[in-house]
Amino acid sequence: MYGVLLAFKNFKYNLGILGSQWAGLKYFKAFLTDSSFWDIIRNTITISVLKLIFGFPAPIILALMLNEVVHSKFKRIVQTVSYLPHFVSWVVVVTILQKLLSPNVGLVNDIRHSMGLDPIFFMGEPRLFYVLVVISDIWKGVGWGSIIYLAALTNIDPTLYEAAEIDGAGRFRKITSITLPCLMPTIGILLIMSLSGILNAGFDQIYLMQTPSTLGVSEVLDTYVLKKGIRQGEFSYSTAIGLFKSVISMFLIITVNNVSRRLTEVSLW
Amino acid sequence: MSVRRKTIGEKIFNIVNYTLLILFSLTTIYPFIYFLALSFNDGYDAMKGGIYLFPREFTLENYKKAFDHPQITNSFMISVTRTLLVTVLAVFFTAMMAYGLSKKGLPGRKYIIFFFFFTTLFGGGLIPTFVLYRQLGIYNTYWVLIIPSIFSFYNAIVMRTFFNGIPDSLSESAVIDGASDLTIFFRIILPLSLPVLATIALFVGVGAWNDWFTGEFFIQSEELRPAATLLNKLISEASFESSTTNTGSSILNVNRELESIRQSGVTPEALRMTFVIIVVTPIIMIYPFIQKYFVKGVMIGSLKE
Repeated sequence: MYGVLLAFKNFKYNLGILGSQWAGLKYFKAFLTDSSFWDIIRNTITISVLKLIFGFPAPIILALMLNEVVHSKFKRIVQTVSYLPHFVSWVVVVTILQKLLSPNVGLVNDIRHSMGLDPIFFMGEPRLFYVLVVISDIWKGVGWGSIIYLAALTNIDPTLYEAAEIDGAGRFRKITSITLPCLMPTIGILLIMSLSGILNAGFDQIYLMQTPSTLGVSEVLDTYVLKKGIRQGEFSYSTAIGLFKSVISMFLIITVNNVSRRLTEVSLW
Repeated sequence: MSVRRKTIGEKIFNIVNYTLLILFSLTTIYPFIYFLALSFNDGYDAMKGGIYLFPREFTLENYKKAFDHPQITNSFMISVTRTLLVTVLAVFFTAMMAYGLSKKGLPGRKYIIFFFFFTTLFGGGLIPTFVLYRQLGIYNTYWVLIIPSIFSFYNAIVMRTFFNGIPDSLSESAVIDGASDLTIFFRIILPLSLPVLATIALFVGVGAWNDWFTGEFFIQSEELRPAATLLNKLISEASFESSTTNTGSSILNVNRELESIRQSGVTPEALRMTFVIIVVTPIIMIYPFIQKYFVKGVMIGSLKE
């Protein structure tokens, strides 16, 4: 917390945090007028929103599919397998991605080759960056994300389904009229949490996936802070950016939570 | 689900559903099989491509070289000791904190919780942390791999929620029998909380094992580098001739490393695949056994914030 002061100081390492000169809001102004400011904000929000649109429903769909499985052994095996990527670090996931998509002996380009297509250097292609980010994010997180929904599904009163069956409801009808509404509170809470994390594009993933040729679309707040701060030694400037992000995130979490409490009575606290 | 007449629609639905789930499982597992095949295959042969499921020229040479390699074995030892230490300490400290917070009589409980909650949400990010570590003198020491990882407020809240579910009457009757708070904590609360302790241990352990970041940015000495960081170095070095993910000095070091590997008859690429498998294996061996616990743990943590 005390480190937050860095953002308001002209930090000199030998003077320490308290000994350094006050700089007021200089670094915040500098960031807001930074030539890459809008690019970074745009990239960050684009990545988060894409992840939200495609990544958020994925675990719900997986949970619903698993819920329809009758053989409990099959269900358990699929579940165990689906948790695996969650426990593997981004370093490994990105390695896998690079290997599969490698232009030389990568699987995907081998397939393209056998179809008579030219190899693509996927990781260096700015247009494909977001696609890869979203796909790898889903691959890594979908199984883990489904745990919560599966847990919520087991809490649904079975008599509801029995009643629906008597009324002649089919499988899809049961999903849309019983399962989904019962999942709504869970979905709501998780949505609040994701919305408030909109300035977190996923540091590990982005940092490890970006290449010089994709920097234009892949530079996000967190990676920028890291480069400015640790590589270029601009401590105060980076702290100002970090603080900026933290304040907005906190504002977001409180706002989204209030709105949601008013509209749907779903709240984090 | 009920066992009544199955309509054609339901049959089709079942077939589609099962097929999709099987496909999904395959896409999850396949990359690991791919890497496993490559790690058991001769590196020069692998360069020709075409290895997808099974090794073509089977060899154990990659693994032998990997376990012979001083930098790899050293990083592995760092990671193992770090993971064990962090897991034990984290579970212990988190449990003590959580137990305190679960007591309704704790003075200022609300403020303590707010204090931790606020500092978890609000902060200046990476750089203040960096400066803090330097001033504490743990930068570039083994301790930076341990101390910052042993407490997480989120985990404390998960544990507290679990402790709250243990009936008060148990500890009350122990008090009547003359037990102190510590006795209650060690003899009653902890033994009853195995599921949540196992969950937290798994989370913390996996986190410590997979953490490459600390080793990359808060450690400079090579001999302190954990396995995840070394893996990242080897890989980012290989994939792109870029300087964005590497500092100048480490490129040179890793280059020298790779050169010595190349001369030993194993390709760096094969060694990398092997290293990935080595790093992933302990996790694959452990998590399925703790599955029934962590499924519960996740529920506790998220549904009752």
